[in-house]
Amino acid sequence: MAQHDMLPAETVHDGRLGISDVVAGSCQADAVGPAGAEGSPQGRDSSPRPALHTPDEPVSLKGLGKLAVVLRSMWSQGEGRFALVVLACWIVVSLASIVWTPKKLWETDGYHVWAPPSADHLLGTDGTGADVFSWLMAGARTNLLIAILSVMLAGVVGVTLLMAMVSRSKMVSAISVVAVDALISIPTVLIALILAVPMGASIAVIILACGVGYGLNLARIARPQALLAAGSDYAVSARASGASGGYVLFRHVLPNSLPSIMVQLSLSAGTAILAESGLTYLGVGVPSGVPSWGHSLSTSVKLIDVYPLTVVWPGLTVTVVVVALNLFGDVLRQAIDPIVNTALRKVAA
Amino acid sequence: MRFLIRRLVSFAVALLGLSVVIFAALRILPGDVAVVMAGLNSPPGRVAQLRAEMGLNRPLPQQYIDWMAGLLTGDYGKSMLTGQSVTSMVVERASITFPLIIFGLLIASAVGLGLGVAASLATGNGVRTFFRVFGIVGGSIPALWGGLLLVLLFARGVGLIGLFPSQGFPQEGWGSPGAAFASLVLPALTVGLIDGASLMRYTRSALADVMHNGCMIEAMACGYTRAQALIHVGLRVIVPQLVSVAGLMFANMVTGVMVIENLFALPGVGSGLIADLGDRDLIAVQSELFMLAAFFLLVGLFVDVLHRVLDPRLRRSSEGRM
Repeated sequence: MAQHDMLPAETVHDGRLGISDVVAGSCQADAVGPAGAEGSPQGRDSSPRPALHTPDEPVSLKGLGKLAVVLRSMWSQGEGRFALVVLACWIVVSLASIVWTPKKLWETDGYHVWAPPSADHLLGTDGTGADVFSWLMAGARTNLLIAILSVMLAGVVGVTLLMAMVSRSKMVSAISVVAVDALISIPTVLIALILAVPMGASIAVIILACGVGYGLNLARIARPQALLAAGSDYAVSARASGASGGYVLFRHVLPNSLPSIMVQLSLSAGTAILAESGLTYLGVGVPSGVPSWGHSLSTSVKLIDVYPLTVVWPGLTVTVVVVALNLFGDVLRQAIDPIVNTALRKVAA
Repeated sequence: MRFLIRRLVSFAVALLGLSVVIFAALRILPGDVAVVMAGLNSPPGRVAQLRAEMGLNRPLPQQYIDWMAGLLTGDYGKSMLTGQSVTSMVVERASITFPLIIFGLLIASAVGLGLGVAASLATGNGVRTFFRVFGIVGGSIPALWGGLLLVLLFARGVGLIGLFPSQGFPQEGWGSPGAAFASLVLPALTVGLIDGASLMRYTRSALADVMHNGCMIEAMACGYTRAQALIHVGLRVIVPQLVSVAGLMFANMVTGVMVIENLFALPGVGSGLIADLGDRDLIAVQSELFMLAAFFLLVGLFVDVLHRVLDPRLRRSSEGRM
């Protein structure tokens, strides 16, 4: 399993989101009930603060101080800067598109269909004469929503599975390990197709399929790090001093697995954007009439004979954003590692 | 051995679970399958007739058991539209999809391994940057767009250099191997290049990790050059990991394959399933989804077992944990 530690990322998104997603994920998992709550009798009620605290225990990302340090160290690298700028633009454009787009989405112009770019239509028009640029702008917010929600769901699913996999109950961990191994080979698109039979084309199909699929991936990839934390001295001493299994999982194991979890989640956001364009093209994703990048890409396919250059824009948008999310994950990996990023240790101390 | 038994049991349980999910997904439609299939403007008796034909009057568990019994005996049902048996439909479509996937995987491994090794050996700054950009950008391109770009470059008719057909599959199928092959070149290149870029990143980072491994140092101490040591020793060490990664990638690749089949109008498994879904041919959809699920679970099983066979460290550990 060791190989998974270094898997390069595949997708994703803004750091602040990542952190809150994970937090949301862990709360949810807590409510569902920790798998290995077998601990000692005095357990969580007395909630003893473990007396033996190993000093070298890496600390989770909490507080604005650490966030600032992480962002600053990402900003200091060219790739990180690119990622942050693109993601910031994405968010700004999404918000702006709610109140303003250059043309109204449904304002069509029958005399100028398939028009090439001009001052009036920055990126030309589509087959109904609607403005391509405005649709791309509006698509940004749909894709942002899809990315955020699928990442949140993946966080919930993944963290729940992860905690089950490293829990001390042999039954729970064996079952969850085997289940993840067996189901990991089911592609997202298959989950989406199964869901699309009763649900039809909808954004929920994309989010559910991505959330479940990437949640499984997350659990598998973060498992080595979580296992390491679960077997570490600080976890053992916490248990020895009377902490319950659930307390150890969520107070010690989870925070110490956060780096791989967050990197993986930020990669999943990019994969979710790619999945959106594919599923929407296949007719099981974003329903027609709702602006999204997948929608723009699919409409541009029909343009290919008429005005090939129009094809370039939606694809370029998706590619640039996904590249930014991948770079974000790569840079985040180093920025949140207290061993590499020494500034982080100073804040923690 | 314990591992194998455990893995086989989990395979069977997962398959059973998915079959229930698929079955349920088709039954929780508003109304029922017959109403959907008959359509809005059907004559009054049509729905009842369809329902009887398809055995929808029976209780749900009975229907499920009948369906499963059919699957076990190789009866996957008939398409409600064409009356053709689902098995023969899928076999026909797989004769296009399967070569496409194999072809795509070959390109992906050639590109991924080749460039991955080259990237690990590269010393010049410019070359390293090129490989990094290729790896990240290549893996971030939506399959649909990648396919379109290749069409714009190489397709007959539309493209700048008209080399390959971009639409459809020859009528006579593999009867005319040349034409059939040519029509798969652009689709396979699209899938292969995109996944090759991701595989390249995995290969490069795995090789970087293995670089300071004792076996590499020893190989170089014995007189291998860096390149020789990397290719003869390093690659062998990371092969089990790569198999595992390729298995995961394969699952991701399928979305691309489905999109690409639609884009290039190839009558394969993916585009067929989408068409059946659009036609509301739900009996066919149900069995096709089940077959796909079974196929992917099998791939996962195969990759896990292969990983164990290839990696002696795992084989020796008595505990079946992995």
